[in-house]
Amino acid sequence: MNLIRAAFLFTCYFCSTLCLAQLHGPGRVPAGTGATLQAAGSGSSILYIYGPGGAAKRTVQRGAINLPGEELQVAGRYIAIIDGNSVSFFVTPASLQNISFVARPSRVPAAAKGAVQGSAFLFDAFQNLYLPTTKVSFRLGTQGSAGEDRTVSSNQGVAWVQLDSGRRGGPADFAVYSEGASVRRIVQQVAADPCGIHMKALPASDGNILVETDPILDCAGNAVPDGTIVTFTSIDASGRSTVDARIKRGFASAELPSAPVATLLVAAGVVQGNEIHWGGVR
Amino acid sequence: MIPYASRLVALLVLLGCLFAEPAMSERSPQVMLSFDATSASPRRVEESTSRAIQRDYAHAWQSMTSALAENRGDLLNQDFTGTARRQLRDAVEAQKQGGLSRRIIDHGHRLRVTFYSLDGSALEADDTVDLEIQYLAGDKLLSSERIPSHYVVLLTPSENSWKVRVLQELPQP
Repeated sequence: MNLIRAAFLFTCYFCSTLCLAQLHGPGRVPAGTGATLQAAGSGSSILYIYGPGGAAKRTVQRGAINLPGEELQVAGRYIAIIDGNSVSFFVTPASLQNISFVARPSRVPAAAKGAVQGSAFLFDAFQNLYLPTTKVSFRLGTQGSAGEDRTVSSNQGVAWVQLDSGRRGGPADFAVYSEGASVRRIVQQVAADPCGIHMKALPASDGNILVETDPILDCAGNAVPDGTIVTFTSIDASGRSTVDARIKRGFASAELPSAPVATLLVAAGVVQGNEIHWGGVR
Repeated sequence: MIPYASRLVALLVLLGCLFAEPAMSERSPQVMLSFDATSASPRRVEESTSRAIQRDYAHAWQSMTSALAENRGDLLNQDFTGTARRQLRDAVEAQKQGGLSRRIIDHGHRLRVTFYSLDGSALEADDTVDLEIQYLAGDKLLSSERIPSHYVVLLTPSENSWKVRVLQELPQP
């Protein structure tokens, strides 16, 4: 009888030891949400918990052990240890909350192919990278124009796009949207190179040659910014004279030295304008 | 006379090399890392960037391992920035308060670049890593495990190196 009782007690002790060895975790839990560990047995023990953004040690009662959401904000792998038994679980990113948006460049020529680039990095409220594949929309547009939209799928929390700049100069809205989160940047679209510079020449009151351009525009019709250098050249029997003038209120003008016969040229950067044959027999 | 002098110089050079070797290996990264940038898009990773990434990422793991073992947040400053640095510093501070630490034995990484931005300002990669982690309270070993882990990493360039901005472990598929 005593032997049976001893065997029974041993079995109970063995089972309880086995039960104590059991520690269960939540498997996966979204960031910022509390979780519960199940530690078999009763009485108090020390819980150690290690995670990617913290570590803690505290006395707990075995049974259901609550882990508050504040302890589980950083996504990644956690390990809980009680009495030499351990369990691992993962904190996964919470819902998409923030977008970090890198838009380049801040100034771009109008109507330029693939000139505007944007990279969007998706995060939850705790700055964990939001990894599920999701639709991300980009939009680049100036006021009064249709603009350009593009929707792409994120890959591991990143989405990117490369767009043509708009035809109109001025500040353009470059925005990114996904699941209720949005961010907006401004890209300044400026006139591209001048297109078809045209000048006229008149005799100045002091005998020199007065040259003046028509309004200088890029190929999309945007005014080339004031201050852009325009070069006027006169080639005559005595040689070559060059005058650099800045565009002012959309025009550029200069006085070239008088000559009975001369060839007059105009250019801005690499863009050549019209040529005038001044004086002589036409 | 000259041969003796030459031998002496050679001996000194040899001794110099022998003594210099440990100092060199202390500085150079010990982390084993295989690197694959063939899947990088939208921009190709240049050869010099590949070398810099491998050097700096390996160094970052060394720094993190030391920081978590010695509870020294300052060791993170050179290789981590932004969210990753803040989270790791928090972990180090919390360990210090609880008298805890963790020892990471790094058995190697397979780093695969998935994204390199057109302007070169960000690079994302997958890292499959074989780690052995020992969890300690004081000198007492609480638990130890060897696990294959999978991380997603976001790196950004700083003045003269790449820094880890996000280091996020993913659940096993």
